Amino acid sequence: MDFTTVIFSAFALTLLGAGMGVILSRNPVHAALFLVLAFFTGAGLWMMLEAEFLAITLVLVYVGAVMVLFLFVVMMLNVDLDRLREGFWQHLPLGAGVALIMVAEMVLVVSSKQFSKLGADLQPASETVSNTRDLGMQLYTHYVYPFELASVILLVAIVAAIALTLRKRKDSKHLDPAQQVLVKASDRLRIVSMRSEGDQ
Amino acid sequence: MVQNYLAVLLFILVGLGVGVIAPLLGWILGPRRPDPQKNSPYECGFEAFEDARMRFDVRYYLVAILFILFDLEIAFLFPWAVVLKEVGLFGFVAMMIFLGILVVGFVYEWVKGALEWD
Repeated sequence: MDFTTVIFSAFALTLLGAGMGVILSRNPVHAALFLVLAFFTGAGLWMMLEAEFLAITLVLVYVGAVMVLFLFVVMMLNVDLDRLREGFWQHLPLGAGVALIMVAEMVLVVSSKQFSKLGADLQPASETVSNTRDLGMQLYTHYVYPFELASVILLVAIVAAIALTLRKRKDSKHLDPAQQVLVKASDRLRIVSMRSEGDQ
Repeated sequence: MVQNYLAVLLFILVGLGVGVIAPLLGWILGPRRPDPQKNSPYECGFEAFEDARMRFDVRYYLVAILFILFDLEIAFLFPWAVVLKEVGLFGFVAMMIFLGILVVGFVYEWVKGALEWD
């Protein structure tokens, strides 16, 4: 067994363990942290396949950003653990049925002849050029139109996120210094002429 | 070559080692004399006021999702930076259009006040 196999086994076992942790841990926050570990080891495996760009993107986007969102959602959901657990046995047959169908589908796909042929005749594009460079050469020349479409999709996501979640709080005690500075004396103070006591 | 990443692997291993050994040493060498008072939960000296699972303001979600979107933009910038010399002016203009469309979104969120926290 050579060194690469040892490293691969270590990554693969950690990935499996982390995956089990995600579905088995009772605390949703722990499950999310296990998912971070799973992403990291997945990035390690991709690194071993020399897919450097994918590995870095996995760490940058998923570990860096998506997991932050997951943790916020887990914390925002106000998860009541006891309420989650009740009805487990009642829903078990349905869940088991869905799981069985998915396993059967995966077995059928992976064991088919077409699938085993897929990776066999694929060769690395080149031995000397990194695949980040290869990807860039394709993305900004041949696939430039889908690339521009991606920015439009990101724009739609920005607008949709703001439209869905931006609310002005009614109980806000926020003060705007710019408005405070602009106040004139006549806005706050009314000078009334009236006779003093001595005049009467 | 995969061999080039040996240094990264060593870095990960040393990091893991330090992370495991330091708490382990404290756990082995430190005195442990627990009593009920020490083990009871506290919140700044008071009994805990409420459950730790409270609702968060939805604004945190907005900040997180805007962060993801601009993070994805960075993912597109990496391969572009690598091949900028090869793709030349065409690639440069393509990225400027990409960034221009995203700047529209950035201006929108700025003007809408999504970046304000009041």
